[in-house]
Amino acid sequence: MHGTEAQKGVDERLYDVGELTRVEGEGSLRLRVRNGKVLEARFGIFETPRYFEQLVVGRTPDEVIDIVARICGICPVAYQMSAVHGFEDLFGVRIDPAVRALRRLLYCGEWIESHALHVYLLHAPDFLGYESAIAMAADHRPLVEQALRMKKAGNQLIRILGGRSIHPVSVRVGGFSRVPKRRELEDHRAAMAAGLELAQATVRLTAGLPMPAFTREPRVVSLRHAAEYPFNDGRIVSSDGIDLAPSEWRSAFEEHQVEGTNALHARTLDGKGAYLVGPAARVVLAAGQLHPLAKEALEESGQSDLIRTNIYASIVARSVELVHAFAEALDIIDAYRPPTDPLVPWTSRPGVAAWATEAPRGLLFHRYEVDEMGRIRAAQIVPPTSQNQAAIEKDLITAAAGVLDLPHAEATVRLEQMIRSYDPCISCATHFLDLRIDEA
Amino acid sequence: MTHAPVAARPRVGVVKFASCDGCQLTLLNLEDELLSIVEHFEIVDFPEASSSRSAGPYDVLFVEGSVSEPAHVERIVELRRRARFLVTIGACATAGGIQALRNWGDHDAFRASVYAHPEFIHSLAKSTPIAEHVPVDAELRGCPIDPGQLVELLTALTTGRRPQLRDESVCMECKRRGVVCVMVSKGIPCLGQVTQTGCGAICPRYGRGCYGCFGPREQANAAGLARHLQAAGDRPQEEVGRLFAGFTAYSEPFRSMVTDLGGTRTGRRETVDGGPLGDNDARH
Amino acid sequence: MVMTSSGRGPKPIAEGPAFLARADLQVLLDLLREDGRTLIGPTLDAGAIVYDEIASVEDLPRGWGDEQGPGRYRVRRRSDERLFGYVVGPTSWKKWTFPSLIPLTKGTRDGHRVSFEPAPIDAPKLAFLGVRACELAALGVQDRVLAGGPFTDPDFVARRAGIIVVAVQCTTSAPTCFCTSMGTGPEVTSGYDLSLTELDDGFLVAAGSRVGRDLLERLPLRPASATEQYGAAAVVANVRARIGDPVTADGLHDRLLAQLDHPRWAQVAERCITCGNCTLVCPTCFCTTVSQSTDLTGDHALSERIWDSCFSPGFAKVAGGSFRSRPRDRYRQWLTHKFATWLDQFGTFGCTGCGRCITWCPVGIDVREELNAIAPAVSLAPEAAIVEPVAAAPNDFVAARVLATRPETPGTVTLSLTGTDPAFARGSTGQFAMVALPGFPPLPISISRFLPDGIELTIRGAGPATKALAGLQIGDQVGLRGPLGNNWPLDRAVGRDLVIVTGGIGLAPLRPVIHAIIADRRRYGDVKLFYGARTPVDLHYRDELERWSKQDGIDVSLTVDRAGPEWHGRVGVVTQLFDQAVWDASNMIAFVCGPERMMQATATTLAGRGVPASRIYVTLERHMECGIGLCGHCQMGKYFVCRDGPVFSIAQLGDNFGREGI
Repeated sequence: MHGTEAQKGVDERLYDVGELTRVEGEGSLRLRVRNGKVLEARFGIFETPRYFEQLVVGRTPDEVIDIVARICGICPVAYQMSAVHGFEDLFGVRIDPAVRALRRLLYCGEWIESHALHVYLLHAPDFLGYESAIAMAADHRPLVEQALRMKKAGNQLIRILGGRSIHPVSVRVGGFSRVPKRRELEDHRAAMAAGLELAQATVRLTAGLPMPAFTREPRVVSLRHAAEYPFNDGRIVSSDGIDLAPSEWRSAFEEHQVEGTNALHARTLDGKGAYLVGPAARVVLAAGQLHPLAKEALEESGQSDLIRTNIYASIVARSVELVHAFAEALDIIDAYRPPTDPLVPWTSRPGVAAWATEAPRGLLFHRYEVDEMGRIRAAQIVPPTSQNQAAIEKDLITAAAGVLDLPHAEATVRLEQMIRSYDPCISCATHFLDLRIDEA
Repeated sequence: MTHAPVAARPRVGVVKFASCDGCQLTLLNLEDELLSIVEHFEIVDFPEASSSRSAGPYDVLFVEGSVSEPAHVERIVELRRRARFLVTIGACATAGGIQALRNWGDHDAFRASVYAHPEFIHSLAKSTPIAEHVPVDAELRGCPIDPGQLVELLTALTTGRRPQLRDESVCMECKRRGVVCVMVSKGIPCLGQVTQTGCGAICPRYGRGCYGCFGPREQANAAGLARHLQAAGDRPQEEVGRLFAGFTAYSEPFRSMVTDLGGTRTGRRETVDGGPLGDNDARH
Repeated sequence: MVMTSSGRGPKPIAEGPAFLARADLQVLLDLLREDGRTLIGPTLDAGAIVYDEIASVEDLPRGWGDEQGPGRYRVRRRSDERLFGYVVGPTSWKKWTFPSLIPLTKGTRDGHRVSFEPAPIDAPKLAFLGVRACELAALGVQDRVLAGGPFTDPDFVARRAGIIVVAVQCTTSAPTCFCTSMGTGPEVTSGYDLSLTELDDGFLVAAGSRVGRDLLERLPLRPASATEQYGAAAVVANVRARIGDPVTADGLHDRLLAQLDHPRWAQVAERCITCGNCTLVCPTCFCTTVSQSTDLTGDHALSERIWDSCFSPGFAKVAGGSFRSRPRDRYRQWLTHKFATWLDQFGTFGCTGCGRCITWCPVGIDVREELNAIAPAVSLAPEAAIVEPVAAAPNDFVAARVLATRPETPGTVTLSLTGTDPAFARGSTGQFAMVALPGFPPLPISISRFLPDGIELTIRGAGPATKALAGLQIGDQVGLRGPLGNNWPLDRAVGRDLVIVTGGIGLAPLRPVIHAIIADRRRYGDVKLFYGARTPVDLHYRDELERWSKQDGIDVSLTVDRAGPEWHGRVGVVTQLFDQAVWDASNMIAFVCGPERMMQATATTLAGRGVPASRIYVTLERHMECGIGLCGHCQMGKYFVCRDGPVFSIAQLGDNFGREGI
């Protein structure tokens, strides 16, 4: 239902999309503005809960790794990483350094396929005026083919390390059940090198896209590491002073249920409310650790400030991270020697296993209580999309003013485009997210 | 599997119930074939990938995800009416998925343990496969489905032939590929003997046991395997039960194994277990 | 021909046996790889010794061996540096002669026209290093199946042609080997170009063909010494002795095909997962299927041949259903094909005794055990005891010592005796001994238990002689002659249900039967014991009865004629007990022991329930004085009970059983 009501000088607009498209999962959008004032801004997610935090109760750590991957088909590696590092931290497991490098390589593969998917297949059509990448291919076939080649390179990398590109099988507490031979990675190198060039071209492309006007500088949160761009290690930091060990998310953040929704909102304990996680947050907080080639691409794009203040520019941040992922992956491949201890033995200890890693979409925190038998007693999983809810809410309000002058249909598309800037991964939300703002 | 007469350029829809999205993503992951596929098939409704919508009718409808809330029940019936040829894709749609583990548990306890106000959560007591609600014309198993099998189905649809989806054990694929049996050579429990092939024997190839994500094969002797694992491996019953309590646990005969042997504690309110499980360190 | 460093003159090494030093083995590998030939040999990978492309001696599994058993395989470090010190692993040479996937035909459709183009055969030049005798036989079997009939497989023929086969004599074996039984090893005898036997310092080399002789001439060899030749022969002979003869292949074809309705098929089907591992790991299985794939247009199709297995449910399917829908049917198909009908089709067994199907069956089903259960090579009639006792004359007894005594019931005692005639150690269930004390008549007493170093006798003190025996104390001696008589035919009970009916002390001669069943419980079906006694305290071996029932899988039904206040079981005669029992007479065998009237009544009831007379066995008691058929007392009809019995089938006894005055 779209429409305007002109009635005795009342200008009421309703933008309502019952089922968002080109987002992962099932969500809806509803924005009601009267006389320029936002009365209702709702980002509803009607994804069915699957109760993963209960499904893992009673299981062993390796089973948990297999199970939590199924929270998301686009970012299963992220779930496996947050879980495995948490368990290894609690059990005092020291992995072979080559195994650590392989884990980063696996994460590179996931970032590549996820970012390539989002930039080209999910988000770019908005900027170029198409309903889908398939429709876009009719006029821009080489562009879509490039996207598919990049995505394939990332998927193939995960396949080599993990057996298949979705829900890989080789990640285990203590390492990998199988590590690749040098030859397998060498054979893939050419595709990765070609992908790097395509990623650099992607930064140039997205930096040149028509960017809708939008200004809001959100609080940002991500991992930050002294030597590496954050994947599976680093301290949790924010743009306003939070600085925690990766297991300590609960010291500064919490989830709570909001009246009238099924959401478990995430917020900071200091009461300052919304924050943003994801590529834009990482570029703001950790650009110093980007691979030199990615730094170069970012600088040449001239978009650092825009990324900080305009959520639509996250597409550029994502493209810069594509360059980083390809570049770091190539470095790891070139230096790779199979680990002497691909899988070290371990015994469980009772206690709390907690860790945060950077999924393609942002900070992903896991916390497991492990009992004396080595089984999970309780679990908490906080996906990035859950944490972005409050920020989305704020951005909807900010965006409202900017769309009122547009024809209704175009305005609706613009609002969807804004939501897509978050690359929401709604299946990840093991909880419902349904946000309502009271009358402003 | 029934065969529908194939239209010149079949109208295709892709819909999602309770799932992780991985099976639909497999279609988008056919990078080499995708642009050719969209020439032979008209994708009329695929919300994940396109804003162009259609409520049907569909010549071919791919359904991902399990029926998990009241609204799903009506929705699948309506979709069935609008689809000539309905294909379920993935363990959620074909077997109820990992979320079907709650079918053994106390549903109310589930909701209450996750949500402080469970009354606002609308989900069904059970997560069930699509075929329990409507007739299904073809199924692609797996968690996620195998890209090769998806291509096989698509090429079969354009040709009007039967897709070659072999119903045999994963062992066959291991042996064809020269993968050394992890159960015999390393003592790692592996469900491959009772699981339908299709994945290319990924898990044994990668040095671990199969966990049955393609579901039980026809005439799977799960009871025989369970007996052997307990006796020869000296494993407690509950550990063997947990092997079957995976992504296709709700399909028979895995379902009976889970019920008889135990292996899922999901849904129970108690949080501390003093020890009736009876085994020691976590096995890895 | 190459001269050795010792400068010896030319010798006819081309005939062998010659010796190749360990350090020179690489020369052979290099020769085998000449002209772009691919060398396949053993190598260690992912915890198994597999066959793969190799180039150097360094690729070989130096110092590695393996441990194998049903469903179990582990590599292990040897204490030496042997290169071939392992037994066959999961790969077979079939991987190269008959690969798991080959393209067959390219099909094209162009409007109305269709065309079929055979896919080109890609047959590389190969050399095999490390082929065992069982594997040579398997290659021979493949030759017959795939290239020996009216239609040949061109892919196999192309691949097989020109393979240089370097065989290796087995210097070790696994518990799963049975090449000896199948007549294929362990000695390498034919089908090879070169054969190697590994010794400490090198290899004994012999040629088996012209290609082999040509190779020999180019190797740095010297003549093998007599010690080396003897050593090589001894090692292989040791292997033969270690393997033994697990399966009687003589007559196996007929024996197996006579057992198509054996209950064991259903029993093994409960364990068998029909996973197909056995068939794919087997070096001779050749069943395949053809799979089709097309492109999106449907105009281009490729068909490929892949390994298939008769164990898959769909293997024998047609539109109406499957010809072999039950797992037991498919297991039977495989076993009878491999060990019987293959002989009819191709003139040899399909099996070469390599043991892979035993090791690589994930649930450890052992085909040798199944064959011996279903089609054993044993005589079916009860035989006279084949063991010659030391005390074999009417005047001869050997003293044994009482080790323990135990009151069984008021009036009966079980004596444990040790230091017995060694013949007792090889006695069988149902036999008896003549037991004597000086001054007392010798008495025939059933042996109620066989122990490694003695026997048990359960004795009812009825008269002076038995009272004297029953009163023996620990350390006392007693004279024994035996073991005498024949035995309960337990081999006829393999794979069948067994019903044992007895009362009172009659359980004594049947107790060893139950012990033997428990020791090998899986070979038998349902085992039911119906046992009655006058009163509860007259039940013998009460603690064993409980254990048999609770732990050992014996279905025990008890009854007493007269109950006391603590008896909660049945009351009545034992024949009433099994009147109500349910069983399948077609697959049942019965052993009965008790007073003759009780045995008659039982036999009548059993026969009335459909159990054939040839499968009802009784044990007769007659007046015996010598126990060895010389005193004439124990005649019954044409039989001497002590020598032809005491165990008889009702069919043997015929009308005489139960006839007054015989």
